[in-house]
Amino acid sequence: MTKETPIFEAKNIVKEYSGHRALDNVSIKVPKQSIFGLLGPNGAGKTSLIRIINQITAPDSGEILIDGKPLQREHVSQIGYLPEERGLYKKMKIGEQAVYLAQLKGMPKKQAKQELMLWFKKFEIDTWWNKTVDELSKGMAQKIQFITTVVHRPQLLILDEPFSGFDPINTNLVKSEILKLRDEGATILLSTHNMGSVEEICDNIALINNSKKILGGKVSEVKEQFSEEKYIIEFKGTGVAFANAVWGGWEMLNNKQLDEHHAIATIKLTGGTQLNDFLKGIINAVEIQSVNKVIPSMNEIFIRAVENESTTEEEVVNENTNQDG
Amino acid sequence: MGKIGLIIKREYTTRVKKKSFLLMTILGPILLVGFLVGAIWLGQQEEKDLEILVLDDTYVLSNTLLQSEKYHLTSSQDEGIENIDAGKTFLKESEQYDIFLYLPANIVSGNTSVGKLFYKDAPSSNVQRHLENIVDGSIERLRLKELKISNEDYARLKNKVQLHTIDVVSNEEKNVGMRAGVGFIFGLMIYLFIFMYGIQVMKGVIEEKSNRIVEVIVSSVKPFELMMGKIIGIMFVGLTQFIIWVMLSLALTTTLSLTIFPDLMNPENVAQTAQIEQVAVGVTVEPVNTDITETGKEFQDLIFNQIPWGLMIGLFIFYFIGGYLLYGSLLAAIGAAVDSETDTQQFMLPVTAPLIFAYIVAAMAIENPNSAAVEWCSQIPFTSPIVMLVRVSMGAEGLGWAIVLSMSLLIATFIGTTWVAGRVYRTGILMYGKKASYKEMFKWLRHK
Repeated sequence: MTKETPIFEAKNIVKEYSGHRALDNVSIKVPKQSIFGLLGPNGAGKTSLIRIINQITAPDSGEILIDGKPLQREHVSQIGYLPEERGLYKKMKIGEQAVYLAQLKGMPKKQAKQELMLWFKKFEIDTWWNKTVDELSKGMAQKIQFITTVVHRPQLLILDEPFSGFDPINTNLVKSEILKLRDEGATILLSTHNMGSVEEICDNIALINNSKKILGGKVSEVKEQFSEEKYIIEFKGTGVAFANAVWGGWEMLNNKQLDEHHAIATIKLTGGTQLNDFLKGIINAVEIQSVNKVIPSMNEIFIRAVENESTTEEEVVNENTNQDG
Repeated sequence: MGKIGLIIKREYTTRVKKKSFLLMTILGPILLVGFLVGAIWLGQQEEKDLEILVLDDTYVLSNTLLQSEKYHLTSSQDEGIENIDAGKTFLKESEQYDIFLYLPANIVSGNTSVGKLFYKDAPSSNVQRHLENIVDGSIERLRLKELKISNEDYARLKNKVQLHTIDVVSNEEKNVGMRAGVGFIFGLMIYLFIFMYGIQVMKGVIEEKSNRIVEVIVSSVKPFELMMGKIIGIMFVGLTQFIIWVMLSLALTTTLSLTIFPDLMNPENVAQTAQIEQVAVGVTVEPVNTDITETGKEFQDLIFNQIPWGLMIGLFIFYFIGGYLLYGSLLAAIGAAVDSETDTQQFMLPVTAPLIFAYIVAAMAIENPNSAAVEWCSQIPFTSPIVMLVRVSMGAEGLGWAIVLSMSLLIATFIGTTWVAGRVYRTGILMYGKKASYKEMFKWLRHK
């Protein structure tokens, strides 16, 4: 049951900045204890949405629900936010400012200190407590920012480009911490350009482009939606025999002869041809060793979806300029 | 403790703990008292005794009491010197004499009296003035004799008129100028504090914006709370520094005046030194020096009886806080609208100009406390924190309504500027890379 009620829901959010519409009727649902990827090119409106969730700005219209209740000031302590543009006080001791930030999220001072010490130990930075940010590298500062985002055990974690600036080792550390937090009950809203990590850890995604949501749903479903009838077939025999076995209903995208008797063909079925029917046709000509469906990567989906959008967008713009002229 | 309390506490403690704060707070009064004491002390220091050779063609100085403690005058005839060139050469070679004073024959008879003073080491202006006084007095006396005017007649002639200012309402005698001066010092302090701490607010906002921590913080607290927390925190830093300054200065001057310079602060001492010089002239003209004694007594009277200290300090704290909140909020808005300190110039001018104008009006008010400009500026909230105290220091009688009106206007205005600043701040702190214009800031006011 609880899995069905989303912990976080944005309904028909509209936000305008002096004539420019930053968010146009955007709705997303984030199921409890899942990792949600908020994707989109730069300037698409992701940060605007995130700022609305954090109550830094208010939407012009639309509604945000947390656990089914309208978003309120008290929810601040249940949200952890790691902005894309993040920083720390340069001259303030690290421990002190971590405690301060935790206190601002509503944690009592003593508890904040204890919990922070645990996190500092986990990230092997407990010796830095009394240092200032000036003395740290960028990666080190990122660790502290991550800790201050999660220390008050928020129900909803909003991470804007959490992996930028981390080396691969720390990226993995943060990734595994995110997964651990999810397993412990947190819900994570992740905004990123790093499609690899989306594929790796996200359960659901929404793709925002030009202020609108153009794509959304479970990662597996989105992939299914974007997959075409493309297959990679490995076989014993020659490409010529393969090509001549079935007439019509498919096209050869790629054919690679590995050696005299081995080849790999990438094909696309057209005109509603079923894979089984196709295989029946070629099975007499060559010996099939493996058949794999080509699944598009998130990267591909992202690019295709955004490019589709922008071509239609461009046409509209062109029409408009024509009318104006 | 609420979240705004946390912010105030952070702003306060990080600043008070800074070494520069400690240094300023402790060194400030030490420097101030040091300069003051140093100046008085230096002024009273006896310079080294001077050996002066005088070539006096017309015996101007012959009847004068030639010797004083510091100045040893010797007639050139004693050294066998008859003309100016011989005197110059003699001075150059002499180890005994410091100065060669040449008074030409026409110095008494001529319309202009010009003498020459040759030196090896440049004499202080004090020495020059003292010698001028001696010669002047002697010439005066010779001329009086020549014109057959008695010393008594001359004294009456030279008598200077004095106007004593008396408040018709309280029938008290008051020194208006000096009281205005005290008020001006209060106004000046408010001016300095508004500037110093207002700029700190602006820098603090720019710091948070430029190191990008601000977005994390406004996800926990409202931007308005962050801005107010910063302004109030820094205000307490200012008040702390002010209180420490006053206490340290008082403690220092008291200790110094009781121990090292017991006589220094006594105005009668200052007067005595002045009197000695006058004696040397030998003419009992109604001397300027009595003014000094008088001034000393008046000063004490002023400090202890005339200035309404309770009211002044109460008003000082009110106007400091009011003026600081007004300007501090505007400066916070400027800090939020820019990306770095170098961009603040164009916005700073409209804010600093009224402040500087207020300072000029306050300085004018010393001379002319009841002018229309002063009355207006003590009401206009952008200038009243600095100007009103000058007015009050002249006497608060009959000013009741003016003070109440001025205070109400100030409160209403800083609530207004804080509201405006809050709106600009809220949008500005999250805007990067764009140089804000006034037009754009006006748009921010209306953002939801």
